[in-house]
Amino acid sequence: MIIIGEKINGVIPATKQAIAERDGGYISGLAVKQAEAGANYIDVCAGTDPELEVDALQWLMGVVQDAVELPLCIDSPNPEVIARVFPLARRDGIINSVSAEGNKCGILYPLVQGTAWQVIGLTCDDRGVPGDVQTRVEIAKQLVMKAAEFGIAPDRLHIDPLVITLATDHESLLKFVAATREIKALYPPIKITSGLSNISFGMPLRRVVNQSFLTMAMFAGMDSAILDPCNQEMLATLLANEALLGRDRLCRKFANAYRSGRIGQKR
Amino acid sequence: MVNVQLLTQAVGELDEDRVMALLTEFVAAMPTAEEALSALNACQQGMNAVGELYETGEYFVGDLIFAGELLTKAVDLIKPVLRGEGAATIGKIVLGTVRGDIHDIGKNIFKSLVESAGFEVYDLGVDTSPEAFVAKAREVGADVVGMSGVLNLATAAMKNTVDALKAAGLRNGVKVLIGGNPVNSEVCRNVGADAFTTNAAQGVKICQGWVK
Repeated sequence: MIIIGEKINGVIPATKQAIAERDGGYISGLAVKQAEAGANYIDVCAGTDPELEVDALQWLMGVVQDAVELPLCIDSPNPEVIARVFPLARRDGIINSVSAEGNKCGILYPLVQGTAWQVIGLTCDDRGVPGDVQTRVEIAKQLVMKAAEFGIAPDRLHIDPLVITLATDHESLLKFVAATREIKALYPPIKITSGLSNISFGMPLRRVVNQSFLTMAMFAGMDSAILDPCNQEMLATLLANEALLGRDRLCRKFANAYRSGRIGQKR
Repeated sequence: MVNVQLLTQAVGELDEDRVMALLTEFVAAMPTAEEALSALNACQQGMNAVGELYETGEYFVGDLIFAGELLTKAVDLIKPVLRGEGAATIGKIVLGTVRGDIHDIGKNIFKSLVESAGFEVYDLGVDTSPEAFVAKAREVGADVVGMSGVLNLATAAMKNTVDALKAAGLRNGVKVLIGGNPVNSEVCRNVGADAFTTNAAQGVKICQGWVK
């Protein structure tokens, strides 16, 4: 399971403040903590006004890359912003994200052509987020075919079949699972990802719903997730799932995480 | 010579990369068989630490199995050093886990080591009856009968086996070595064995002494 650490995101109030004040110590602390907890990539999202975003992202990228050896997941709704900050990345990471909206693919795919960069592709288009499975699969196909034009193979794509809030669609998880399975059947090497916490928006006990979602999504074949690896319960669920799904021989990763205090009681 | 403390520590911490690095370096330096035995001894000390950490809840079942695999790898690395130049058989050992007990990790480690040291080993497996020990010892003309067990009830089965060897008139012709968790000098006396050990490398030395 590929973990993309989500904590450095300007929509989180404390992070927003640190970005506004250019508090490098706070941001590098978040990067280090996520790396120690087992993140494979560090998501950086400025979440600021568009005119400030390039500046903020460039600063974030510098701070994070000085703090940890991990590759970045460059996160912006604006493809032009990603294109401008992209040259500052020191390692091949993940672009977050393309979709079938506007000319996102046309701007971002050429950027990573001929590199080892990966790309997150959201299954939405100019009509918005589809409510059904079939449209999600159709958009995923478009994203894959467009990627092929730039020599980007499916194994470099993380498709996010955009889970809808369960509170407003009681079949949301079922649709996510169906879309995941169909997309994987079409392109076996492709990766499926999810932002995870959207499922529980507007519900009480969100952490329980999120963990159950993680479990079912992993069972359905989800390969990566954008989450907080410092959330011990979530990480414990993730590692237990890895073991249950046969990816942790002798359960040693689980036991090691427990021994080192990454999951379970702080020791 | 390998730093035995570091080796013991690396095995205890189940640090596979470090164990392999230490032993690879050790073997490359052309150690003597004596040095190889002390390296093995260090590994076994590390295993004792693993056992203790399991008892205290620090290690789990998967870690224990992993430790067994790690030790097997370590033994495989050291084995060629033990055999040295001459490949002649220096003695015959009939070996088994005694009746009523099915633990065989220790037995298998000992087997692997004594084979490397030049013994021909007849392994009767686990839950071995006194009759089976007697029959095999007679058939092959054993120099040593080695009995292993982890459970406390194993000591009674060891005694029964020694009694059966006596009844068959074989006792004076063989040395009897007992090994495993429940053995000590008192058990050794009660069982009527010639020697006991809780350490596979030491067991090898005892057997070597007998056939000199």
